[in-house]
Amino acid sequence: MKTRLNNLDTDARQSRQTGRNINILSLVRVELRKTRRSGIQWILLAADIILWMPSILNAHLNFGMQAEGISPEHNFLIQGFMGMAWFMFPASMIVVTVLLTQTERSNHGILKMLALPVSTTRLCLAKFLVLLSLAGAQMLMSAGMYFVSAAIASHTRNYPFMLPPLFVLREAGLMYLAAVPMLAFFWLLSVCIQTPVFSVGMGLASIVPSVLIINTKLWLTYPMAYPFFVITAEYGKLATILETAQVELFPWIPVAIGITVVCLAASCLCFGRAERK
Amino acid sequence: MKTQSLSGSDRYPVHDSTSRRGGYGLKPGLEYKKIKRTGLLPAFVCCGLLAAAFPVADMAVRSERYLSLPDSPVSILLHADWQMMSMLNVLLLVVAACILYHTEVSDNALLKMCSLPLKESSLFFSKILLLIPMLIFTLALEAAALGFCCWHWLSFSPEALTELAYSMGFSLLLLLPAALLSLLLACACKNMWISLGIGVVCIFTATMLPADNFLLSLFPYAMPFQILAGMQKETITGFSTAAALESLGLCAAEIIFLKIRRWSA
Repeated sequence: MKTRLNNLDTDARQSRQTGRNINILSLVRVELRKTRRSGIQWILLAADIILWMPSILNAHLNFGMQAEGISPEHNFLIQGFMGMAWFMFPASMIVVTVLLTQTERSNHGILKMLALPVSTTRLCLAKFLVLLSLAGAQMLMSAGMYFVSAAIASHTRNYPFMLPPLFVLREAGLMYLAAVPMLAFFWLLSVCIQTPVFSVGMGLASIVPSVLIINTKLWLTYPMAYPFFVITAEYGKLATILETAQVELFPWIPVAIGITVVCLAASCLCFGRAERK
Repeated sequence: MKTQSLSGSDRYPVHDSTSRRGGYGLKPGLEYKKIKRTGLLPAFVCCGLLAAAFPVADMAVRSERYLSLPDSPVSILLHADWQMMSMLNVLLLVVAACILYHTEVSDNALLKMCSLPLKESSLFFSKILLLIPMLIFTLALEAAALGFCCWHWLSFSPEALTELAYSMGFSLLLLLPAALLSLLLACACKNMWISLGIGVVCIFTATMLPADNFLLSLFPYAMPFQILAGMQKETITGFSTAAALESLGLCAAEIIFLKIRRWSA
């Protein structure tokens, strides 16, 4: 504890000396420490456990996928990840944005943060990096739960459901990367809209139509559909008979980067504006 | 003049005697005043409009897919779009429940409410009494959109209107347990993200449950996804009784929970 306090103290002293140039990594560390006792990790873990439970119970359904031409073990993984990308992952990320904005609004903690000699842009980016790292934590937990549930299903059904770890991590990593623009958009919503009912409501409502949107050309402009689109594309790759729309990198990557940059820039501009009034 | 106005009850409104003695003074009007600046009412309107847009857009884009189906118009529309619409309703319900208690918790207003000569549970019941009319309004907007779709693309008859009314009434009844449970969770958790997170996980669980298992579909968050049209009579009575029983059980659970919290605090 003592050393931690000392660390913080040196951080503060450094920042006082260097004006507004506090290291963004130490800001992220401070922000992560704030979320430690929030209990969010239990909610994310519960979501991951519930995600894989039906897969274990319905493991026998994976053997009836000859029409799509996908092997049972691949189907086991992809169905679980599709359930995650469609609703659970975006919705729990909205919960995380609520956590990041509301913990500091109660008792006016944010006012104290804004009074520090720290650039608000950096503070905003540090909080966004915390959002990214919690998203990564959920992705990793989900991959971990996959290995547990695949082991259980292999045991109960006498069939090797386990896929090589590198392949699983690659799929999870693809979904994670595709989710970055969506996370930036959610962050923009939670920073710029002060009334929580609208920032949360708009975020949750924007998830629901993503199932319809991935079937249209509009998906390119709709970041909430990206993770689901990527996983559906992977499904199409693994299933030899089924054809799904594939990711074309050229218009997509520039559009995704554009959306991320615009959302982040706007949220950095808005950050703390209401409190400073 | 001055003394008169001070002693007069118009200056310091005295509530009815039951509330002074600590009875169940239900005050949905007071709760309504509290939510004025939270934007909850516009949120209900927006959600209703968004959910109403689903069937209209669906019919506008691919009406030829539904025209040849043999079912009644309301049944066709509900089977095509009710999943999405009810998902929006339940999400809104969870957010609304969180906000209703967040306004109390955020600046320790709840502590002040607890020191008033009011039963804590009356706060809960006032909130649910406020939530129900807003839900009815949202469902009415959705019903209007479904009615419009029937009239414009499919056949429209008085029977369709009664079928629609019955469907919406059934949906309202099935939404009640989810509303009560969300409010109970929001009341129990001091931090909004915990109650919202539990609500989101529960909705996610509801979407993962197998639809053919009757017992599992009695999960409060899974019930709003049910469709009245084309349902067996026994199933309808089953769901209605289950919804009523769950609602009563949740009300009782709330009262017991508040008592225990009071004692242990």
